[in-house]
Amino acid sequence: MSSVPVARGHTARLWRRRLTRSLVYFALLVMTVVMLYPFWYMADNAFRSLQQYQLQSGFSLASWRELFNTLPVGHQLVNSTILTVGSIALILVASTTAGYALGVLRYRFSSLVFLLVISSMMVPMQSIIIPEYVNLARLGFINHYYGAILVYAALGAPFSTFLMTAYFRRLPEDVIEAALMDGLGYGRIFLQIMLPLAVPAIVTIVVLQFIQIWDDLLVGLLFLQTPELRPITVGLATIPSQHLLNVPVLMAGSLISAAPAIAVFLVFQRYLIAGLTTGVGK
Amino acid sequence: MLALIGGLLLLPIGQTVYYSFTTWDGITSQWVGPSTYTALLRSPEFVRVLENNAVIVLAIPVAIFLPLGVALLINSHVRGWRVFRSVYFLPTAVSWVVIGFVAVRFFANDGILHDLLAKIGLGSIHPDFLAHERSALLAVIVTFVWSMFGTNLIIFLAGMATIDQEIYDAAKVDGAGPLAVMFQITVPLLKRFIQFTFVITLVTAFTALFSLIFVMTGGGPGFGTTTLEFFIYQNGFSQGYFGLGATAGVVLFVAVFAISMVQLRLLRSDD
Repeated sequence: MSSVPVARGHTARLWRRRLTRSLVYFALLVMTVVMLYPFWYMADNAFRSLQQYQLQSGFSLASWRELFNTLPVGHQLVNSTILTVGSIALILVASTTAGYALGVLRYRFSSLVFLLVISSMMVPMQSIIIPEYVNLARLGFINHYYGAILVYAALGAPFSTFLMTAYFRRLPEDVIEAALMDGLGYGRIFLQIMLPLAVPAIVTIVVLQFIQIWDDLLVGLLFLQTPELRPITVGLATIPSQHLLNVPVLMAGSLISAAPAIAVFLVFQRYLIAGLTTGVGK
Repeated sequence: MLALIGGLLLLPIGQTVYYSFTTWDGITSQWVGPSTYTALLRSPEFVRVLENNAVIVLAIPVAIFLPLGVALLINSHVRGWRVFRSVYFLPTAVSWVVIGFVAVRFFANDGILHDLLAKIGLGSIHPDFLAHERSALLAVIVTFVWSMFGTNLIIFLAGMATIDQEIYDAAKVDGAGPLAVMFQITVPLLKRFIQFTFVITLVTAFTALFSLIFVMTGGGPGFGTTTLEFFIYQNGFSQGYFGLGATAGVVLFVAVFAISMVQLRLLRSDD
C-alpha cells in the first residue's frame, strides 16, 4: 500500500467525496418526489373531465363546473374566511391580554392561572366534544358562526396564551420601568409599547391558527350542519357520495380548499417554524 | 380568557368524567357507575380500537427516525437545502381531508401504487389496501408518517442549529469522520428534540387522525381503522351512545394527559 502515489490517494478521496455527495442529493431528490407528487397529482387531474381523466389525456374545466354545481364553493370559501378571521381575532384578544397579565403584570394567582392554561393545552378535543356539543346545542349555538368560532377560539387560546406569556417574559423589564417613569399607565403600556413589540409572536399565532382552523374538519362538521354554512374543508369532506368516485372533481375541490393555507404557508413559513419549535427552545 | 377556557374546555372535561359513569343520549342520563368502564374494556370492538392505537404507536419510530436521517443529510450543508426544507415542510399546510383524498387514490385498487407497480412489470398485483382491515390500517399509518415528516424534520433542523459550531471544529481537529460526528455528536445533542418529536407525534397520532380516517376509510373495513378518537365520534354522533362516547373520552384524556406529563418531566429534568 505504501507504494501508492500520494496523488492517487488524493483523487480517490475526491471521488469518494463526490460519490457521497451525489448519493445525498439522490436521497434528497427521491424524498422531494415523494413529498411533491401528491400536489402534482392534484394539479394534473383537477383540469380534466372524468373521461379525460380515464384516458389520461386532454385538459378542460368541466370538473370545475361540476364542482361548483355540487358544492356552494364560493359560499364555503366565505364561511371559511369568516370562521378563521373571527376565531383568530378572538384568540388574539384573549392571548395577548392574558399573556400580558401573566407574563408582565403577574397578579397574585398568575402562576396558578398559567398552570391552568398549560393543562388545558393537554385536553384532547375528542374527549370533550360530546358534552361541548350538547352544551352549545342547549344554548342554541349550533348552526351559527359564533358557536363554531367560540369552539375554535377555546381550542386555540391555551397554546397562544402560552406563547404570548413566554414572549412577554423574555422582553427586558427596563422597557416597562422606563414607560412607568414616563407616567404611562399599564393599559397604555400594553397598547403602545408591548403590542408593537409582540408583532412577531402575534404573526406566529395567526399563521399557526390560520392553518389549524382552515384545515379543520371535526368542529365544522358537528357545529355547522348545512352545506351553506360549512367551511370549504368540511364541505369537501362531506361531498355527496355519488361524487366520491369522480377523481377530477375531488382533486379540483382539494386544490381550491388547500390553496389559501398553502399561500399563507409560503409567505409566512418562517413564523410557522418559530411557533413549532417554541416548545423545546429556551 | 378564563371564561373561554373554563366554559369550553374545563367544564366539558368535568362533564365527560361525570357522564362516563352513565348511560346518556344527550337528553337524559342514568347513573350506572364504574361498571361502564369494565363493560367498555370487555367489548371486543373496544379492544380492537385500543389495538389499532397500539399499532399506530409502533410506527412512531419510523415517523421520527426517517426525518432525523434526512435532517442529518440536509445539515451537511448541501446546496439548496432551504428549498428542500420548504418542500418537505409543505404538507404541514394541507388539511388531512385533502391528504386523505389523495391517499385514497394512491392506495386504491386501480390507484397510483398500482400504476407504479405496473410500470416495473408487476401490473398483475392489485394492492387493494383499503379493502382489508390490516392493510387499511397500514395505509393510514403510511399517510400519517408522510404528513408528520416535515414537522419533525423542521424540529430537528432547528435543534441542529442550536449546536455550537466549535464542537464540530474540535471534532474535526481530533480527526473524527463525518459518520462519527453524526452519531457521536449531533444525535446525542439532539436528545431533547428527539423526545419532543416523540411526544408531539404520539399526541398527533392519538388526537389528530380523525379527519384522515373519516376521509380514507370511515373507520373500516369493520373496525380495522377505528382509533379511540374515531370511536368516540362514531358512538356519540352516529349512534347516539353519548355515555359510551364519554367513557372512551376519559380513556383518551387519561392517555394524552399521561403522555404530556412525561413530556413536562423530561423537559424539566434537562433544565
